[in-house]
Amino acid sequence: MTELEQALGVLAWELDVPETPDLTTRVLAQIEPRAPRRVERSRWIVAVTVVVLAALAATLAIPDARAALFRLLSIGGERIELVDELPEIPVQDDLELSLGERVTLEEGRRRSSFSVRELDESPDRVYLGERGTVWFLHGTPALPRLLVAQTPLDFVNEDLLVQKLAGPGTRVERTDVDGSPAVFLSGEVHLVLLIDEYGYVVEESARLARDVLVWDRDGVAYRLEGDFDLEKALRLARSLG
Amino acid sequence: MYQGIAFRTAYLLTGSAADAEDAAQSGFVKAWRALPRFRSGSPFRPWLLRIVANEAHNRRRSAGRAHALQLSAVAAETSGDAAPSPEGTMLGREQREALLAAVQRLDERDRDVLTCRYLLELSEEETATVLDVRRGTVKSRTARALARLRTEMEP
Repeated sequence: MTELEQALGVLAWELDVPETPDLTTRVLAQIEPRAPRRVERSRWIVAVTVVVLAALAATLAIPDARAALFRLLSIGGERIELVDELPEIPVQDDLELSLGERVTLEEGRRRSSFSVRELDESPDRVYLGERGTVWFLHGTPALPRLLVAQTPLDFVNEDLLVQKLAGPGTRVERTDVDGSPAVFLSGEVHLVLLIDEYGYVVEESARLARDVLVWDRDGVAYRLEGDFDLEKALRLARSLG
Repeated sequence: MYQGIAFRTAYLLTGSAADAEDAAQSGFVKAWRALPRFRSGSPFRPWLLRIVANEAHNRRRSAGRAHALQLSAVAAETSGDAAPSPEGTMLGREQREALLAAVQRLDERDRDVLTCRYLLELSEEETATVLDVRRGTVKSRTARALARLRTEMEP
């Protein structure tokens, strides 16, 4: 330890920090009973959790169904939650803003922590997003044809969820990509959110997604988003070399 | 049990007792709500402090100030009340004031990592959790911040 570090250590003991106020009463007042006025965001997160827990509780008695539900809820680092209706939250209209920093393809390859897989057709734009995600955009932000997301799973575990909220109009099918379990969401748009283990929404606003195929392979979570049916989505997924 | 460290963390990050109180209180409430997401078996303290630090940062930003710290040090040699550090040493008044002033001149990122590592005495792992960065980033940021602090301390 250097002299400067030692001095900082001593300063820590000599800092004039006010006496800690007793927060117990005020904290308890907010959590017991549950406060009626709460942040909008918290409300729907809790509401969604309740719905999912209710679904889990109803399913726990049936082992096969339970296993299926857990697979459905967590795949490729994504949790898919089925809800009665989608929450009303701000939606990110600017696709580019929700993807991250725009980079060149070469830069995307170089800066990613894993070997990025590419389609035969080069992407029109490449972005580096939250948690090491590499995004390929085919088309333009205004008229996207296809989005490919690749996220290293060391960034995405049970603590960090790409949460997809699927309403009753969204069809959810389980499938596989070359043996890797996959989920295909189609039909009505659904919401995509990034939520960390602390309950904070990492992305400030949600993004509406179209048909999506999700799977993981070799420590990377893959997502294809576009207007396609399952057959075409699987074909694209398998060509991602 | 964690009130002291939560308040101290918020205070050192905001530099304001009122903001620190709000941040710590809000942090505890949010932590309670996020408890179902807490990974059983993992250390609780950095998890809680991360939430408190987040609240402190939000208050710091919403106050619209460039973190004008109002920290001060106890005038140990005049009052004789301050407990000596575990090393049994104390800083001279000039040295202490110069060091504190230099810390406060650092930018937010440097100050936050030094605050966590030295003023809150958090481990690298805990600091990484609290600041939401990788452990390697804590190492490099700490080294850079110490170098800048050393420069600031130069006459």
